[in-house]
Amino acid sequence: MAAVHDDHAHGHGHGHEHGHDDHAHGPPKGMMRWLTTTNHKDIGTMYLWFSFSMFIVGGLMAFGIRAELFQPGMQLMTPEFFNSLTTNHGLIMVFGAIMPAFVGFANWQVPMMIGAPDMAFARMNNWSFWLLPPAALLLVAAFFVPGGAGAGGWTFYPPLSVQMGMGMDMMIFAVHILGASSIMGSINIITTILNMRAPGMTLMKMPLFVWTWLITAYLLVLVMPVLAGTVTMLLTDRHFGTNFFNAAGGGDPIMFQHIFWFFGHPEVYIMILPAFGIVSEILPTFSRKPLFGYSSMVYATASIAILSCVVWAHHMFTVGMPVTAQLFFMYATMLIAVPTGVKVFNWTATMWQGSMSFETPMLFAIGFIFLFTIGGFSGVVCAVVPVDIQVQETYYVIAHFHYVLVSGSLFALFGGVYYWLPKWTGHMYDESLGKLHFWMSMVFFNVTFFVQHFLGLAGMPRRVPDYALQFADFNMISSIGAFGFGLSQLIFLAAVVKCIRGGKKAEAKPWEGATTLEWDLPSPAPYHSWVTPPVVK
Amino acid sequence: MKNETKVQRKASFLQAIKAVSWAFFGIRKKSDHDHDAATLTLGQVIVAGIIGAAIFVTSVLMMVKLVTS
Repeated sequence: MAAVHDDHAHGHGHGHEHGHDDHAHGPPKGMMRWLTTTNHKDIGTMYLWFSFSMFIVGGLMAFGIRAELFQPGMQLMTPEFFNSLTTNHGLIMVFGAIMPAFVGFANWQVPMMIGAPDMAFARMNNWSFWLLPPAALLLVAAFFVPGGAGAGGWTFYPPLSVQMGMGMDMMIFAVHILGASSIMGSINIITTILNMRAPGMTLMKMPLFVWTWLITAYLLVLVMPVLAGTVTMLLTDRHFGTNFFNAAGGGDPIMFQHIFWFFGHPEVYIMILPAFGIVSEILPTFSRKPLFGYSSMVYATASIAILSCVVWAHHMFTVGMPVTAQLFFMYATMLIAVPTGVKVFNWTATMWQGSMSFETPMLFAIGFIFLFTIGGFSGVVCAVVPVDIQVQETYYVIAHFHYVLVSGSLFALFGGVYYWLPKWTGHMYDESLGKLHFWMSMVFFNVTFFVQHFLGLAGMPRRVPDYALQFADFNMISSIGAFGFGLSQLIFLAAVVKCIRGGKKAEAKPWEGATTLEWDLPSPAPYHSWVTPPVVK
Repeated sequence: MKNETKVQRKASFLQAIKAVSWAFFGIRKKSDHDHDAATLTLGQVIVAGIIGAAIFVTSVLMMVKLVTS
């Protein structure tokens, strides 16, 4: 997000700069800088702005959803359009907002934190990013084609996804492109981390954010091809006469769900593990203590990643499967609570008796622990087969995964942005704006989603534009919360823009408790950093 | 690790299994961890991890069989 870069790299005791001619090292001016850049910081910036703009687009869709649900009855839109909104809200937030935001963080932070000058494959990095805008365009443009955008849910379940119009094809192509981008990004991150660490930085000395991204990148390489494969099968079912998922032709729509969720459940962890990493950087800094149980955290992350590959069918308990399968997936799912519990315990122990201060990043990190734990618990509730059969496809599930993805992933992202903004821009952000953003988000988030637990338990189904009268009050509260939450994000935008444009000059290490390598660089981080790698003791 | 080159490099496979089992739980004692870091090789950990995952899946399956029998 930094608009301000030094055109020349600073020496600052790392002894790498020849200081000859600014133009040789500075970026080209204007649009060409962004189109042709191979610089990890530029690309990280573009990822972050892209994900923020998709966050706004997905957020506007959520506004549409909550406006329609403000009162019972059909007010604003057709049911088909409503379904397109829920479908694309999910798809855009997952693939357009959360995932690219984490890749943006990886681009900015991983090289600086491991003492590398850039990403391993700098040109591929550019390509990974520039695949995203066409994919986003496909998703949004689908609303304007005959038949409208895909409306069968973000999960592409057949038979709906086999039947819909060309909007569905556009969705499928968009996912292909986004998948290719993710795979390339992951290969880049894995190679960078494994090959470009500074001398002395062994794997077990890496900052936890780097560790979580390494494991996430492996998960991405493992599961994105599965998604690409299954949506390709969908495409051939739609246009080339195959019957993979068409029961009338001998195919099996349930098979789609199994393949999709073999991707989809690790995907959940792809969206949360880097968030764990960010929180694990913020907490020790503002507790002024090293992270409690660093190696346990690494182990827990690895075991969460492995377990995430053997629990997929808990998303589909009600579609019909043998009771042995239900029990297997129930037990395996509940066991994930063990390493996750280890993490929550370690975060709490990190804060215990620390000399804590509560700047905005810390507030978001603590908010993350508090609310993510609620989301984790409601996840365990959903893992219990008989309970899940009751709450499947209800607002309880909506509440659960928004606690995990909004107050989990998104809060960690906000915390990370405030934490590293001084390094990215060279300015301190406005603390009052940051705190206002946190408290507004915290309050309105809970107003929006906590009541949805009640709606779900009372039986309100998800993906409906209209509902029975007894759900009216909680829906009204939830809609008010949603509008409050959405508008609160303008404070975030204001805080970031204000920070980019100026403000108190940030020191190289504005947080006294910070220990990772990026804080040894000046603020803002020079355009080319760690040209001579630091030596880690 | 490079500074401690003289430490015995090879760990037994049983030790790799032990480390991975603790990893599934998500916890490891500091001294044991340091010993692992000095002696275990990446190959050992990966093989032990795959075996560990297979054992995990099998034991959950056996549990299910037990419950449903």
